[in-house]
Amino acid sequence: MRIAIDTYHLMMRGLREAFRQPAIELTNIFIPVFFFAVTVGAIGSVAGRAFGVTNFLGFQMPVAILQAVAGVAGSAGLATVTDIERGYFDKLLLTPTPRLSLVLGRLASDSTRAMFLTLIIMIGGLAAGSGMASGPLGMIVILIMAGTFGLSYSGFGLAIALRTGSAQAAQASFLVFFPLLFLSPAFAPKEIFANWLEFLATINPVTYVLQGMRHLILEGWSLGSLAAAFGSILGLGAVTLTMAFSALRYRTA
Amino acid sequence: MSAILAEGLVKHYTPEIKAVDGIDLDIPDGQIFGFLGPNGSGKTTTVRMLTTLLRPTGGRAEVAGFDVVRQAGDVRRRIGVALQEAGLDDLQTGRELLHLQGHLYRLESAHARTRAAHLLEVVDILDAADRPIKTYSGGMKRRLDLAASLLHEPKIVFLDEPTTGLDPISRESIWRYVRQLNQEEGVTFFLTTQYLEEADRLADDVAIMNLGRIVAQGSPAALKADIGADVITVRIESGEERMRARDVARAIEGVEDVRTVDDTVVVYVRDGRRAMARIILVLEEASVHVDEVSLAHPTLDDVFLRKTGQHIEERSD
Repeated sequence: MRIAIDTYHLMMRGLREAFRQPAIELTNIFIPVFFFAVTVGAIGSVAGRAFGVTNFLGFQMPVAILQAVAGVAGSAGLATVTDIERGYFDKLLLTPTPRLSLVLGRLASDSTRAMFLTLIIMIGGLAAGSGMASGPLGMIVILIMAGTFGLSYSGFGLAIALRTGSAQAAQASFLVFFPLLFLSPAFAPKEIFANWLEFLATINPVTYVLQGMRHLILEGWSLGSLAAAFGSILGLGAVTLTMAFSALRYRTA
Repeated sequence: MSAILAEGLVKHYTPEIKAVDGIDLDIPDGQIFGFLGPNGSGKTTTVRMLTTLLRPTGGRAEVAGFDVVRQAGDVRRRIGVALQEAGLDDLQTGRELLHLQGHLYRLESAHARTRAAHLLEVVDILDAADRPIKTYSGGMKRRLDLAASLLHEPKIVFLDEPTTGLDPISRESIWRYVRQLNQEEGVTFFLTTQYLEEADRLADDVAIMNLGRIVAQGSPAALKADIGADVITVRIESGEERMRARDVARAIEGVEDVRTVDDTVVVYVRDGRRAMARIILVLEEASVHVDEVSLAHPTLDDVFLRKTGQHIEERSD
């Protein structure tokens, strides 16, 4: 109970912080929307003939969503570094609040921000004609998927921030996302990849999150696809949260 | 009962870097304890161990009767801490910061609000309470940090160099509040400082740290009395003459100790007023050109000088 209450208060602090720095949120939304628009504009018309994707707008929407989520996750690491540099992180460590809440509070605020940006992208995509085969409930599942992926991926940035206390290193967590995105079927179906790339895409957790969202937008409900997406998020989260707690222990050793 | 107890407390970052090298402390309830020493002497590392922010590599410590490693949560609930750098979140307002602090210390919301308003008034930032902290001056941030450390009414408060960099008025107001809390509510203060005046004016007892070890401990009056002499400082430009002055001064009756520090010879002597003329005369006879001479009662810096051969202020630069 205590963990939940403290996590809530720390999450609200993170959200207040985000609300007071709108430029960061605008950057987090602008870059993915820009790439979304440019990619669809550039190859949307040939995508059907090239690799059989008729609704390229819907096909690309999850890429924009995941880019926005990764942006939020990157700024989470930076926010933690700022807390460390200002000594506020020590102030939090000195309170009797559970250590789990210190980590979860930050991740929960990132997760909420990720869902907010996802909602904006989905509304924009729907307005542009992407469609949503799984209906409004599918949108809610995509929001949850984006939120939990944001939470899991933020753990990585948080771990780097806690371990190094370095802003440059924390920013690297965002850069790491790009290889993961390009090693997934972000721009074309996996089936047309070269064998080596297809193998890497198969072991890349981002692939399953992307395909899970894509399935909900283009085709509708698929239990297998949802299980794979949430399973990947869970696996990723287990690794990144373990890293984050280990980094927190290192910081107080 | 001891508010703070340390036995052979050690923190080694590497086998070569011994930040704290085996210190013992026994600080009773209700005391203002000054922890004095130059930069890098191990004061902050000691505070971080006693406040559970850092694990000791050896020895043990108890705060409020709880072990700082095994019962860290119990320690945290009972202490207030204002570290060297005011640990604040610039994007929150002063009031929001205190409210969050209250939640994390499990105060009832209404009580946290009342307590926050009271402390904001006490530290004189009520008018700025709803402004973002980034708009506060350095002094206001320090005072807000102090308020945050007192919000949950702790009985033991650690203040790590609370007045470093503050103007005299802000410094005086923090001293006044520390004294008031100590006298009216019996709060124990563990105060690290590099300002001798601060330790002298506030502390009941002090420990003087140097290179990770406590070199002197006791009440400021007792430590100064231990020197048992007045301090005559003679400035002599020539190094050769300084060495000669040191040798001849040692032979003068009543002189207890002589030290050379930078361009001065420091003479510890009984009844300094009478001895001063004699010392100048003897130095002249020894063909030592005296550039400046002064007489003072011993200070805590003299205690540090006697123990280490250096001034605290020099080491702090």
